[in-house]
Amino acid sequence: MNSNPSPLNPSRFEGCTLTGALSVLTEVRDAICIIHGPAGCAHHNFSLLHATLLSNDRFEVPRLLSTHLTENDIIFGGEDALETTIVRALSLSPAPASIFVLSTCIVETIGDDTEAVCAKHRGVPVIPVPTAGFLGGVFETGIRNALSSVASLARPRAEPTLSANLVGEKNLEYGADENAAEIARLLGRLGIGINLRFVRGISTRDLERLGSAALNILREPALQPIGEDLRRRFGTPYIPSFPAGLSGTCRFLEEVGQICGIDASAAVEEERAYQKAMLEGFADMAGSRVCFQTAHPMLGADPEAETVCTECAHALNLTVAPDGVPVPFPYPAPVGTAGLRRMLHRWRLLIRR
Amino acid sequence: MKQIALYGKGGIGKSTTAANLSAALAGEGFDILQIGCDPKHDSTRMLMHGTWIPTVLDLIRERGDENITVDDVVYRGFRGVRCVEAGGPEPGVGCAGRGIIATFQLLERLDALKGDVIVYDVLGDVVCGGFAMPMREGYAQEIYLVTSGELMSIYAANNIAKAIACLSRRARSRCTLGGVICNAKNIEGEQDLVAEFARRINSRLIAYIPRSREVQIAELHRQTVVEYAPESDQAAVYEELGRAIYANQETSIPTPLEMDELESFAFESVQV
Repeated sequence: MNSNPSPLNPSRFEGCTLTGALSVLTEVRDAICIIHGPAGCAHHNFSLLHATLLSNDRFEVPRLLSTHLTENDIIFGGEDALETTIVRALSLSPAPASIFVLSTCIVETIGDDTEAVCAKHRGVPVIPVPTAGFLGGVFETGIRNALSSVASLARPRAEPTLSANLVGEKNLEYGADENAAEIARLLGRLGIGINLRFVRGISTRDLERLGSAALNILREPALQPIGEDLRRRFGTPYIPSFPAGLSGTCRFLEEVGQICGIDASAAVEEERAYQKAMLEGFADMAGSRVCFQTAHPMLGADPEAETVCTECAHALNLTVAPDGVPVPFPYPAPVGTAGLRRMLHRWRLLIRR
Repeated sequence: MKQIALYGKGGIGKSTTAANLSAALAGEGFDILQIGCDPKHDSTRMLMHGTWIPTVLDLIRERGDENITVDDVVYRGFRGVRCVEAGGPEPGVGCAGRGIIATFQLLERLDALKGDVIVYDVLGDVVCGGFAMPMREGYAQEIYLVTSGELMSIYAANNIAKAIACLSRRARSRCTLGGVICNAKNIEGEQDLVAEFARRINSRLIAYIPRSREVQIAELHRQTVVEYAPESDQAAVYEELGRAIYANQETSIPTPLEMDELESFAFESVQV
């Protein structure tokens, strides 16, 4: 038991593997997720996911089922309860196009063979996802395990088209769709489309085309094991992170161009001009004094945030000084030029206050 | 009320010893409750003349734990010994240890844990917290290790002594080692060997039970020796064991041997 009550104690916000996995899997909209464990594991996650959907103006209800294990199932084994719940999931309307079975701490402790129950042929794919947190996992592990499991629904290998996948978008963050739109805008400069949002707002069938992108763009470097995994499975190269900062965004265009064999110099020029125009909109802030601070003691520093902020301050002729207006480092770092614009709007509010 | 538990390597004769001990103590006029804590649920079978009584966990599985009464789980066997079998899941699934915990909780709720002596007969090794349940506060205060002179059996007994030593360190714990019972396999110098082992773990040999064909014959007739051949020497041995345990005031916190001590003990004791 961890009894350190300090808000800086990382175990307070590293979260549950199951929650991380569900934040991915509930975005396969025609699937049902079965949480193999006691009812409480499903309850907390349902509340979180439902609240997040509502605050993003989406009025659907996450399709979660619990196997609802009780003490008897723990003593005698929970595999029958899982079988019953899978049958129930298949009988629901609309019928699920796929089922994800997520394990919990208790079923891994008693040794239920979740994979064996899932292996039975049922007409729709039933995919086991290992998500017992006590095995060493945290929220991020859950995201990785889920992405890795869900990738098994892709068609083996396909001739790549000039397109990219967005891999591991942070589905619980408010700006997820804006960030995806920004990547789409940037790729548009190079004539590259989005093949698949892996995984956000898609169907089970969409997953089949996972292997047909020329490039995978990971949301953040922590997803590199998934990038490697997808490269092994489909031969798709990857970029380890969404772009951050003025020069970072231009570098991103160059990197994408390089991987896809496209000359990006024109696109980079266009983007620089676009950034310049964007910065001109904030010229009124020139000469102000600012002082960057950690957003919150509970959040670790995003290493890119400092670079991004210093670069913007320089471009806008701001003075960074200890007596300046306190400005929090963004967390996570803003994505692309559009992310910077949203950040600068917040700076202006702080400076004018 | 005296509560005792028998632990020892699988197949060493715990259930035979427990059943004959219960039968012998019942013969002294005591009210005895014997609880089999092993998914194999064969602890009380000889007391019940070969009948497999319904196990607590079978009943919980079939009816849920709301609709179970004392009469559903406690069965009277030879000399009125009250018999309970915990039972467990199918081999290879679920969690038998949690089953033991659930059984104890039910027996507590039914107020079934009473009598002059309660004998807990526990499966081979203390594999998890569930099987240490009889050693917890409020249950058996005296643990008896059943072992033969075979080294594997002594290793197992030493391991259980570790569990006793560990649990006895807890606040309010009353779990102690009552003694070592040698259930002989007819090995040369067996009694001395087990007595020496007992001494080294800060305990003593409380009884030596010689190997006897009588036991097997009695079990073929689905009875304890105490019932089948009450006049036999073997029955007298169990009666003596019963008296020794009932009168036992000398318990100890064991000092289990480290692996190298055990190995050198083995070398000293066995003629190579």
